[in-house]
Amino acid sequence: MIDFRDDILPLKNRLYRLALRITAHTGEAEDIVQETMIKAWNHREELDTSSSAEAFCITACRHLALDSIARKERQNETLDTQNYDPVDNSDDSPFQMLSRQDGLQWIHRLFQLLPEKQRTVLQLRDIEGKSYKEIAAFLEISEEQVKVNIFRARQRIKSEFEKIDRYGL
Amino acid sequence: MDYKYIEQLMDRYWEGQTSQEEERLLQVFFQQKQLPAHLAKYKDLFLYTDAQRETSLGADFDEKVLSAIQISCVEAKRNTWTFRLRPFYRAAAMVAVVFTLGMAVQHSWETQDSGNASDATYNYASYKDTYSDPQMAYEQVASTLKEVSDTFRNAGVQPMDSIGDSASR
Repeated sequence: MIDFRDDILPLKNRLYRLALRITAHTGEAEDIVQETMIKAWNHREELDTSSSAEAFCITACRHLALDSIARKERQNETLDTQNYDPVDNSDDSPFQMLSRQDGLQWIHRLFQLLPEKQRTVLQLRDIEGKSYKEIAAFLEISEEQVKVNIFRARQRIKSEFEKIDRYGL
Repeated sequence: MDYKYIEQLMDRYWEGQTSQEEERLLQVFFQQKQLPAHLAKYKDLFLYTDAQRETSLGADFDEKVLSAIQISCVEAKRNTWTFRLRPFYRAAAMVAVVFTLGMAVQHSWETQDSGNASDATYNYASYKDTYSDPQMAYEQVASTLKEVSDTFRNAGVQPMDSIGDSASR
């Protein structure tokens, strides 16, 4: 049997970063983390180890974040979707604070412009330091698909670096 | 200083071929202040992923989620009270079944025992008449039935023939 304070609550920042990576909205990301934790607590009978609690939470968190952006997209359908920018944040998020540093902001934009799956996979690998096997379990895809997504994401970032080399910033 | 190893690691990083340890090594390498120009351009990438690891939720989050969990715990407890008593219901039902079966078995044994010895069972052969003169027995029965009939009439019960009349009407 897992303990809330020992096994679920310590995941809060990792889950928050994942939700933030997908939704790009701090308030929404925080709500998603809370919802994820309540969900995990209600399923505590099925979660016998802290690693299974982590896997459950990350998977649930991603699904909730995807639901959230899908809901937003439906709401925005009638509005002007041309101006929608997944990087732009209206509130003062850590991303906004980063924007004072040009280089990091540029990298941030590169990350946020990646398709969701590549972005999430790169988040879990390069920021959270997870193995391909773990990521495959979290995203319910094969390890091969994880590798493909990591490859594409990094190649995309590399190509942006090469553009700078060729044309300058 | 020779950066061949780092260059190789970077090539493998873009291909998605680096291990978790190698990626940690790159992370540490790019923390350095003095870097050769051809590698310095990647510094921001590793500084960004490093900085992102610091993104965290505020201190008020714990209290918020804990109170939410407590509410859901109380609800869960309320719901499971009757559920938790379920084994006892089953035990009570078992006791009732065993008790009933026991009674039935005991009863059948008792009747078997007494049936062999006395006339408690419907054993017509063992019946004994309680009269010696049939005429006297007939008069006794007739007077008893009349007595019953009179008692009914005195109590205001209609005679049998009038009941028949009202039924046919």
